[in-house]
Amino acid sequence: MNKIAFVILILSFFCLGASNIADQCDTDKLANNCIPKLTAGFNFLKSYKVDGSTKDKVEYSYVFMKGTQYMINLCANGADTDGVVVSILDKDRNKVASSKINGQIVSAINYPCNASGIYYIQYTFEDATSRCGGSALGFKR
Amino acid sequence: MMRIFVIGVLTAFLVSCATEKKPDDQEFLKSIETIEEKTGIDEEKINSILDQIPSPLESSVLLKESGSKFNGSLLNQSENLPKYNNNFKKALNLGVYGTDLGYTNIYRQNQISIEYVSSIKSLADDLNIGQFFDVETIGRLATNSKNLDSLLLITTLNFNHINHYLQTEGRDNLSVLLLTGGWLEAMQITCQVATKKPSKQLFEKIGEQKIILDQILELFSFYGDDASMAALLKDLEPLKAAYAKININYTYKESSMEIVNGVGVIKDNSTTTIDITEQNIEEIKTIINSIRTKIIS
Repeated sequence: MNKIAFVILILSFFCLGASNIADQCDTDKLANNCIPKLTAGFNFLKSYKVDGSTKDKVEYSYVFMKGTQYMINLCANGADTDGVVVSILDKDRNKVASSKINGQIVSAINYPCNASGIYYIQYTFEDATSRCGGSALGFKR
Repeated sequence: MMRIFVIGVLTAFLVSCATEKKPDDQEFLKSIETIEEKTGIDEEKINSILDQIPSPLESSVLLKESGSKFNGSLLNQSENLPKYNNNFKKALNLGVYGTDLGYTNIYRQNQISIEYVSSIKSLADDLNIGQFFDVETIGRLATNSKNLDSLLLITTLNFNHINHYLQTEGRDNLSVLLLTGGWLEAMQITCQVATKKPSKQLFEKIGEQKIILDQILELFSFYGDDASMAALLKDLEPLKAAYAKININYTYKESSMEIVNGVGVIKDNSTTTIDITEQNIEEIKTIINSIRTKIIS
């Protein structure tokens, strides 16, 4: 009887822990937090949820237009970006932009597009503790 | 004592595990699966395409910055609202009016904006998505031209919420129509301005819409069984033929990047060249006008 109780106790702590971790990753909130952090002059376009708890990368796509300047920022739990990196890849998956520059991860990138087309907005995680974040995309001419 | 302990632990176990997936969530997921099974439509693919299509607001900003003056006669008049008596027309014209609202906002035409807000709210209510359109806040912001940034933000957020809701509810066909209506209206305005005041920038803007048209045509290919959508797809075919004459050439070259004041600043060295002539623009304009007239009448 004691053994059964012990197993149930361990299981309940496991479930409780799992649900708490899920609750901590509030991507909606983080994505919304990112919107007002777009630099003045950029018009908001979209917000993205970045939940890497079950995958290596999170990916979206968007048609960027030549002559338009885009800004993508990152928000994570705690300080800075918590190891979340955003990259822009072209349709052939060539990297055209990244928030990791010379080994340093920044919380926003300014991308003046010079070639219209479909691009991938890819989020990866480098030593991230929560693998959880949000992001906003804005534009200006 | 032992029995109380076991009951307590069992309760904690059940409660904590129950938070993982609520019955409502399961029902919702089940309903989505049922829709997919029934229609054979790849919802994930559709949503992915829908999410990548740019906002018509980008075109309106370009028009204003090109020095083009505000022209209300290019827009769909809000008096046309009573003509839209089915969901197909309501969704298309919700997109049309959404673009018109963005255009009037960019040009700070506050009084006209308020008329469009009212028409949009009416169509959104009829489509049971009115709860996502905060007419009170938008109306208040529209009365003061100093609120432009907030107005654009809240309008974009409202349309994003509408699209997200329609997609999660399995009503993505309405989302496709909303987007198509908005795109056609932005195209119509841009073509009219480009023919009156030709510029390389506007010509290229129209030419690069080939990328968007391809995405819209792909979206419509999922709804062949829907007579109204099939008819609209047929109307879009001549536009596809006109765009087949336009070439977009892409050359990749590695970007350079640096950090300035904590922000990554990219220099995009890739290029696209767009081969498009005045004749192409004229042909596209004529086709767009013809499709749009059908939609707004």
